[in-house]
This record gives sequence, structure tokens and C-alpha cells, in this order.
Amino acid sequence: MSEKQLASEILTGLQAAGFERGTARVSNDELHELQAENGDLNLFRTNFETEIGMSGILDQSRASLSINKIEKSVVGEAIDNLKLMALSGTPDPAFDIAGNQPAETFSAGPKQPDYELMYDRINEVEAHAKANYPILNLRSAGITYFKRQSAVLNTNGVEFQSVRGQYNVSVSFSSKQELATSSMMYTGFSSFDLDKPIHEYTNVDALFRQSTEQVLTEHLPGKFVGDMVIAPSCLPSFLGFLTARLGDAAMVSGTSVYKDKLGAEVASPLLNLHSQPVGGELCSGYWITGDGYKAENSVIVENGILKTYLLGIYGANKTGMNRAVNGGGCYVVAPGETSYEALIGQVENGILINRFSGGRPNDRGDFSGIAKNSYYVRDGKVQFPIKETTVSGNLIELLKSIQAISRECLNNGSSSYPWIRVGGITAS
Amino acid sequence: MQISEIDLERFSNHFSAYTELRLHENTTQQISLLNGDVVSNARDTSGGVSSRVFDQGSWGFSSNANFTDDAILSTIEASTRNAAFLATRKGDSEARLPAAKAQASSDFRTGKPRMSQDEIIAFLRACDQYVVETCPEIVSRQVGFSALDMEKKLYTSDGSCGHNVNTRSLISIKLTTRNPQGEPIELGEGFGSRGQFEDVFPDMVEVKRKVDELYRHLMNKKDAVKPVSGYHDVILASDLAGILAHEAIGHTTEGDLVKAGSVAGDFLGQRVASEMVTLVDYAHTYEGETLPVPVYLDDEGVASRDCVIIEKGILKNFMHNKDTAQHFNMALTGNARAFSYTDEPLVRMRNTAILPGKDKFEDMVASIESGYLLMRWTNGQADSTSEFMFGVQMGYEIRDGKLGKAITDTTISGVAFDMLKEITMLSDEMTWNCSGMCGKKQPMPVGMGGPAVKTKMFIGGE
Repeated sequence: MSEKQLASEILTGLQAAGFERGTARVSNDELHELQAENGDLNLFRTNFETEIGMSGILDQSRASLSINKIEKSVVGEAIDNLKLMALSGTPDPAFDIAGNQPAETFSAGPKQPDYELMYDRINEVEAHAKANYPILNLRSAGITYFKRQSAVLNTNGVEFQSVRGQYNVSVSFSSKQELATSSMMYTGFSSFDLDKPIHEYTNVDALFRQSTEQVLTEHLPGKFVGDMVIAPSCLPSFLGFLTARLGDAAMVSGTSVYKDKLGAEVASPLLNLHSQPVGGELCSGYWITGDGYKAENSVIVENGILKTYLLGIYGANKTGMNRAVNGGGCYVVAPGETSYEALIGQVENGILINRFSGGRPNDRGDFSGIAKNSYYVRDGKVQFPIKETTVSGNLIELLKSIQAISRECLNNGSSSYPWIRVGGITAS
Repeated sequence: MQISEIDLERFSNHFSAYTELRLHENTTQQISLLNGDVVSNARDTSGGVSSRVFDQGSWGFSSNANFTDDAILSTIEASTRNAAFLATRKGDSEARLPAAKAQASSDFRTGKPRMSQDEIIAFLRACDQYVVETCPEIVSRQVGFSALDMEKKLYTSDGSCGHNVNTRSLISIKLTTRNPQGEPIELGEGFGSRGQFEDVFPDMVEVKRKVDELYRHLMNKKDAVKPVSGYHDVILASDLAGILAHEAIGHTTEGDLVKAGSVAGDFLGQRVASEMVTLVDYAHTYEGETLPVPVYLDDEGVASRDCVIIEKGILKNFMHNKDTAQHFNMALTGNARAFSYTDEPLVRMRNTAILPGKDKFEDMVASIESGYLLMRWTNGQADSTSEFMFGVQMGYEIRDGKLGKAITDTTISGVAFDMLKEITMLSDEMTWNCSGMCGKKQPMPVGMGGPAVKTKMFIGGE
């Protein structure tokens, strides 16, 4: 039975059970993974998974449920349980499902894995690391081929089918010289192909080299308030505060600091933030939102001005605002006009931060955490890798304090970010 | 077909090398109330069979969502084929794993009649109503319930077998008020324990106590001051000692991380902590009480036993799976656990705790001239260098031996094997926390415990 046929049967079941509106998602996933640990390619995994998600609205009360078995008896029991769950919920006129849209089928990426190529690429990166960075320990290197074939149908006539296959690559590593150990570092990317050696994607090779430098770290010369150059790999730690507070949870609860900021300046005019789930720049995109709408790209922040919230159907109905045209994610920060060299060259006293290990910021945006795998920058030059360095500040102010954005960007398949320099950070 | 009805041993004649065959099903339940509205009402059941085969030093793994005989056989065949793919290219005919044969079964599902979804939501509404009635300055409130039932049945080619069902039920409450400047100030906590709803929340007593406590601290936090960044004398409240044990020390002593170069590998047999520090990863029982995450048989079929990591300040042991025990030529500890049927077992902590001392909490506060009391963690991370951090959402200044003003959210950090040597007092209480979900490659419920700890740490702030 195809995903579409099963989803259709589930919708019929939901309607027979009395649901006025319902959505069914059925997907079949394949995962093929090769993984090396500490230089030893020692795990080959193949997983086959089915996911069935159903949600229904009954007397304006909503419930959702997921299972991974396709037997009729299991699906029927799930529909019965869903009805009991909905009957125990709270009626809320804000609950709804996606409206009717033309049926569409989407497809992207390779249809099957190339085991031999995956095997060769892992051995190749292991050999590269060993030859060029003898003190680097490649703790793990993994290549996963993941394919999802799915169908989303709802009782308003929505009918989307899709299949996407892609490779996901991850490496984690640290370096050790005698008793000195560097901090762990990790990176990864998604791609439709494995045409290049792993160390030639994004900045994998640069991070390998930096790891070997980071076995010998020094304390900052002293506490200071200065600049911070945020590397692309680290940017989600600082942008995440903004995007999380544009969504349903923060907006419906009324605790978002951005709740009255649509059309207002929330960041430096240098910042342009997009969500691009479709269009090809990012291979880990999506075609259909969680609510069942066909996704579109959007501009979230344009020249520092907030252009949209990231509300789903419920959040939009609850707040009386517009539904976002996508479900967020797939973020792209537009490149700036400053070269990376100039970005660093203009730092009088600051930090180049590659990884942030910090506590969850509070709703006011206050943050503090450790600058890992990072460097002290003085008089426009990267000086030395730092240890036990805490950085703190406020994320709302941080976005407004952006001084420059690099021309260079790193696209890891699920996001594309430049280096960004901000000011007013306390480092100690 | 229920997991309990399936006999795995009858598939053993299809094993051609060392094989672990596991049936595994996770059921989660998630209900969220936001300002009284039920905004999430969801349930997920995900299960299947997995097989892992060890062939000449390489692992083959495969999983399938079905429990049928055909699915189980094809999973065994696929994992065997996967292992052979690697073995034929790089096989090490000398590679061995330590043998282990054990049997254990446990079931922590309730014996009481199950409550309906209606009844659980009614309970949560009552919690929410209690907040409304007793917390007048709240501007936003969230009440949530989450449950995870994890059922596993295992058979290995060594003859190990077991059927274990672990359960966990948590209620989370987050309260938000506004400070005099109109800014949101929030405080939250998740609490509960091993067991299903009927056993963990028989009445509202514990919920009311938690709400009262949260609200009292939140009102203090409205006027919080920023801590001064730098090294300070601190008291970590007993709820923080557990995450200290888990993040700061536990991760650095997991066998796979030691094998990968964790700094702890250089310190075995050496003094790494004050003499008063003993740290143990308990398998299932502490002083006769079953712990939050009891593990009797791990997912490699090894009988789980307590692992004394630090004894009176000396680093004694690492936690192991079969591979790392073999690598370090150390005894098996039974720490290999997998979160889902699609996951391979990794070295994971179970119930990690610093043992209590003899000091009274009041004496500990009185002993500090200038410092901080820190409580209620949010998240944490560890590193191969033993540098750690965790987020703290509540705390107080200590001035001249007395508690002072509340402090704003902060991050505390240190180098574990330095910080442990600075421990000078341990309280005589022992608090276990069940709400932890460790995120090392796969999520995994963990238990954490400890007393209040006096030490020195770096605090982020102004």
C-alpha cells in the first residue's frame, strides 16, 4: 500500500469516527549509515521505519497521535484513542487545518545510497586527518544516506506527496598532545552528492587545523568588554533566541519580547535573515509545513526590520496575526560587504567564537556561556586559542550591535551563514 | 503482537556471529496547558526490532518497525550482511568481545487501573487552577505532563535474555511574572519520578508544594541582581549536585569518551578530588531504594552493576560497554543503552551521584563570607578537557554567612578535576532527580543525585 493510499484510509477512518477535520501523514524512511570511531570504520547500519501521524478536530477540540505500525487493527485502535484524546481536550476556535490547495508531488536528491562511495569517503577523510594532522583524533566520522517518501492528506482536500534523499555527514574530533587536550569540536553538512572529499566541504579542514592549535590554550589577559566575531557554526546559538520568540509558544503566551515589533527595528540594518525551505540553495529544505501548507520562502528580518512572525495556524488564529508562509528553519543570513580578514582586522579587543556552550537564555535575552574552540583577537590579529573563557551579554542588544557581516558564507545544507561581528560583549 | 508474547530464542539458529536481538517500544505522552488552554494533546508509540552483529571487529546493525517473524529474520540477515560488508574489507580476525551471560526482568508499569486521558487532563487543570488561585502576580503559566514508557526484550548469542519495562512521569510548571521594569521573569521546574502517572501523582500534595516554592522564588527573582562574573565560593543546592556529577565528571569517565582521548584517561588511580568525594554511577538501587532509572540488564546483555568512579577522591573506574571494557581490559559495568529500536547501544550513565557528607546545609551557608547559593539547573554540557558548564535559573547572594538578594539567570563553569579538589563541605542530605534527559548522540533518561556541595566555581555575569 502506498503512503497516499494509507493516508487516505486514515482520513476515511477519522471522518467515520466523527472528526470534522483531520490530517494524515504517512512516511516511509530508509537510513543507511557508515560510521567510524577513533579511526576505525566499525558500524554499518540500515534502518527501515514507517511513521504515521494523525491529528483531528472534534467539536473544536484537537488531538494528535503517531504510531509506526500499518496493520489495520493498530491504525483503527489509534483512531479510537485519538477520539478519546480529543474528547478530553479543550474546545478552542483557533484549532484548524490547512485549506484546500492543488495536489502536488515533489522530489529531490539521490534515490539510493552509494555504499562504496560512502565507504571510500570515510576512509579518505580518516587518511587525510592522519596525514595532515597527526595529533588530531577523529572521534567519529559518519555518512548517512536518508530517504523519506511521504504523503500528507487532509479533509479539506490537501494532497501532497514527496520523496527526498540526501547524504548527511558528521565529524567530531579533538586533538591531544602529551597531556594537553583540546576541546571537542564537531561539524557536519547535508548534500545531494558526495562528489568531493569530506574535508573539502564547508570548513571541515579549517576546523581540523584549528583543533590541533587548540591543545595549547591560554587564559584571556583579563576581563574586558569588547567585540565578538561569531563564526557561522556558532551563529544559531545567538539567532535562535530571535526565531524561537517569533513562534506560536512565545507569541501565544505573550512572553515574547518581540510581540509588538512587527515592522520595527529588531537588529542592526546590516542584518537580513531569510527562511528558505524551497528553492534549492539548501538541500535540507522542506516542501510542506507542519500544518499542511505548501511552504514558501520568506524574509524574516530585512535591513534590521522584523517582517514576519513564524506563526502556524493555531498561533495566527490565537493572536489575530498572519500565518507564516513556512515553518521556519532553513535560515539564510545574507552576506555582507566586509571580507573575513577585514572583519577580524577591525577588532581592537575581542574574541573569535567558534562554539558556544551556554545556559539557556532567559526571556529577556540575557545569556552567558563558555567560548569553546575560540580565539583571543587583539589589534586586528588572532592571537591565541583561549580557555575557560565566559562571554555574556544580552541577545536583544547583540543583534542591534552588529558591526559588520562577512562576504564569505558557509552553506552546510540546512543553513547558510556568514561571520558576524558584534560589540558590547563581556569576556572574562 | 505484544513484545511479551514473542520468543526471541527461537531465532538464535539464524545467528552466524555474536548477535544482539532486541525488541523495543517507546510510548510517549505529552499534554501541555498554556494559560489554561490545552495546546498540545499528543501520544506517540514507536517500536520495532533491531539486530546488531559483531564480525571480525565490525558491527552490522539493522532495524525494522515490525515485530513479525519475517521482519525479525530480515533484520538479522541485514545486520549480518552489513557486518560482513565491513569485515570483508577490513576484518580483524583477532577481534573479540568479552562474553557475558545474564538474565533480568523488571516491570515498572502501574498495577493500578489506568487513568483516562480525561482524568489526567482534569488533574492538570486542577494544577493550573491552583496556580491561578495562589499566584496573583503571574502573567503567563504553563503546565505540562510528559511520560515515557520504554519496553525492551533482549536475546544475545551469549545466552543473555531479559524483558524490562522502565517508566517515567513528569509534570513541568513554568511561571512568568514581570519585574518593575515590565520585563518577563520566568522560573520553571520539571518533577516526577520513575513510574506511571497513577503511581507518581496520586494526589496534588507534591504539585502544590512545588508551585508554592516556585512562586516564592519567582517573587524574589523579580528584584534579582546580576552576579559578579568570576571565581566565587558557591554552594550548589542538592538538586544541582546531580548535574555536577553527570556533566562535570560522568561524561569524561564514559569509556567511549576516554577511548577517544578524554583527559580522564590520564588520571586513573590518581587523586582527582577532595578526599570527601565519592562518586558512583548506580545501576538500579541505592540504600535499598530503587533509583529513578533502574537498569538490571543492559542492551548488550550485561548484568548492570554499580560503577564506583571516584572513591575518596581517587579516580577508580570508567563506565563501559563491551568494546571499551575489552579495550581497557577492565570489568564490564553494564552501561550500554539504546534509546530507540533504531539505535545502537552507547555507553550511557544510569543514576550518577555524589555521595552525601556530614555537614548541615545551614552551616555551609554560614561558612561563606561572600559567594552564591545556586539552584535549579536548565541545561549542561561537558567536554573532553573536563571543562563543563551548566545553566542556572535561580540563586541567591551569600553575604557574611547569610542569604541575600536573588540573582539573575547565569551559567556556571569550571574544570571538573580542579573544581572537585576545591570541595570542602558536603551536606548530609541526598536528593535524586529523575527529569534529566542526556543528549549524547541519542536522548536518554538518566537519574542524578547528590547533596549540597560547597566548592569554588566560575560564574558568568557582569
